[in-house]
Amino acid sequence: MSFTEFVDGPFWYFSAAVFVIGVVWRLVGMLTMGSKPDYSLPRASGTAGAIGINIKRFFPRTDFWSRIKLQVIAGYLFHVGLFALLFFAAPHIDFYRERLLGFGWPAMPEWAFILVSELAFLGLLLLILHRMMNPVTRAISNRGDYIGSALIFLVMLTGCLALARAYEPLRVLHFFLAELLLLYFPFSALMHTFTFPFSRGFMGAHYGRRGVRV
Amino acid sequence: MSFITFRAAVWQFATLLFVICLLAPLPAPAQESAPASPILVPNPGSDLWRAVRQRDAIGAGTSQARGVETGVLIEQSGEEFRNYRRNDFIGNAGLFIAAVAGLILIFYMVRGRIPIPDGRSGKRIRRFPDIDRTLHWLTAILFIFLALTGLTLLFGRFVALPVLGAEAFSVIASASKEGHNLFGPLFLVAIVALFVRWAARNLPSRGDLKWLIKGGGIIGNAHVSAGFFNTGEKIWFWSVMLLGLTVSISGLVLVFPVFGQGREIMQLALIVHGIAAVLFIAGSLGHIYIGTLGTEGSLESMTTGYVDENWARGHHDRWYAEATQGGAESAVPDQSTVARQAPLHTSADKA
Repeated sequence: MSFTEFVDGPFWYFSAAVFVIGVVWRLVGMLTMGSKPDYSLPRASGTAGAIGINIKRFFPRTDFWSRIKLQVIAGYLFHVGLFALLFFAAPHIDFYRERLLGFGWPAMPEWAFILVSELAFLGLLLLILHRMMNPVTRAISNRGDYIGSALIFLVMLTGCLALARAYEPLRVLHFFLAELLLLYFPFSALMHTFTFPFSRGFMGAHYGRRGVRV
Repeated sequence: MSFITFRAAVWQFATLLFVICLLAPLPAPAQESAPASPILVPNPGSDLWRAVRQRDAIGAGTSQARGVETGVLIEQSGEEFRNYRRNDFIGNAGLFIAAVAGLILIFYMVRGRIPIPDGRSGKRIRRFPDIDRTLHWLTAILFIFLALTGLTLLFGRFVALPVLGAEAFSVIASASKEGHNLFGPLFLVAIVALFVRWAARNLPSRGDLKWLIKGGGIIGNAHVSAGFFNTGEKIWFWSVMLLGLTVSISGLVLVFPVFGQGREIMQLALIVHGIAAVLFIAGSLGHIYIGTLGTEGSLESMTTGYVDENWARGHHDRWYAEATQGGAESAVPDQSTVARQAPLHTSADKA
């Protein structure tokens, strides 16, 4: 079995299975963990607090803006860019149609793909550098944060290097790194992709019941 | 026929032969060894190819395709440009970069590493805030990536291809091209951000000329007074701006051939791009050397944001005096906890 066959075959199925099972396992584990019963009379709706904080956290607090604008701008550039690349880049839609879903959807044009890639890379590089340069973020970062960032960077980079879609080794390299990312994903902080609404909701409900304005 | 008549006929024939020989054109000396062409008519394809190459044409032909120079089938200047690039530019560019690297190596062997004047003091002072270091390393990462991919595209055919073979090199070349084109525009963003952050501090100021005349004190041990940035750093900053803009704009002309630029403009852009990039790479070797191996204590200003007090006093005395405002109260002990303490607010933070 060649490396290409291994990457396209067994390793793909294995990494996809680990990703799906791992993510579901962690989400179910988190959601079934429960919390201590709160017998106090609620001052306001916990549900409203959970929904409210989920929306408000998308916008930076104005009193912090001058100190966090780099993280906020870079964060949006990267996350929105990555989302667009993942779901609206033509090669990815082809992959979903051929290997996963059996159907596709319209892809963004080539110029938009390049623009989005540029912005996503700019955001990711700024976020990684900020993590390393800022004493506070450096102190609270662990090895897993750097591994996750590096893997995402390499997956994006190899994807863009294979943009010509003319050389099989470049596609295989991109695919292999994406599979490594899938394997690493459930066991890392990258799980925030799925857990952020729940963690925000938990905090929002907690504060909401106590009538805390956030 | 009588004998006399026969002799007369022979003489007449000989005379005629002699006259013919005299009248016949002499072969050109250069053509003496060349075999005579059996075809006495011109190659029937030559007219066709002359028309295709449009060597004699005043203007371009016509085509159903609408676009810049779509009426030109074969661009004559393309071959000349290709020969210039392959035979002149690439070799000289390689020699230039190698020569600069060699000079730096010789300088290091002769001069050695410049130590911190009076050694480390044990106290550090803040030089660059986080945002400046973030932008610097963003620019550096992009530059190194672009330089490596650009050098691969420039020299790869002559250096990597014979070693790796055509198949492997074609993969690397394709990846380099895609990566180079993708990260190029980001480099423009990075240097514009650096300009916004640092341009004001790099304007000419008093003492710059004196610093230049004394060669920055790098030769010999004489200290030369300097502010936040010394004259050498200012020259490098404006070189980065000039060369960065040049490579970026010429690169954009090459990457986006949709604004009506023809082949001549593209060829000019490629040469300008190449010359500016080679100068940029050569200059960056000096910058990297001075910032790392050449001068003790310099690199930490960009890794931690802090420098040793003696380094600041020795290399940037006017900035040091301004930052400390005549005292050492804003300097902190050089302990491992320094980075976790509240940052010092020096003039660098106000920039």
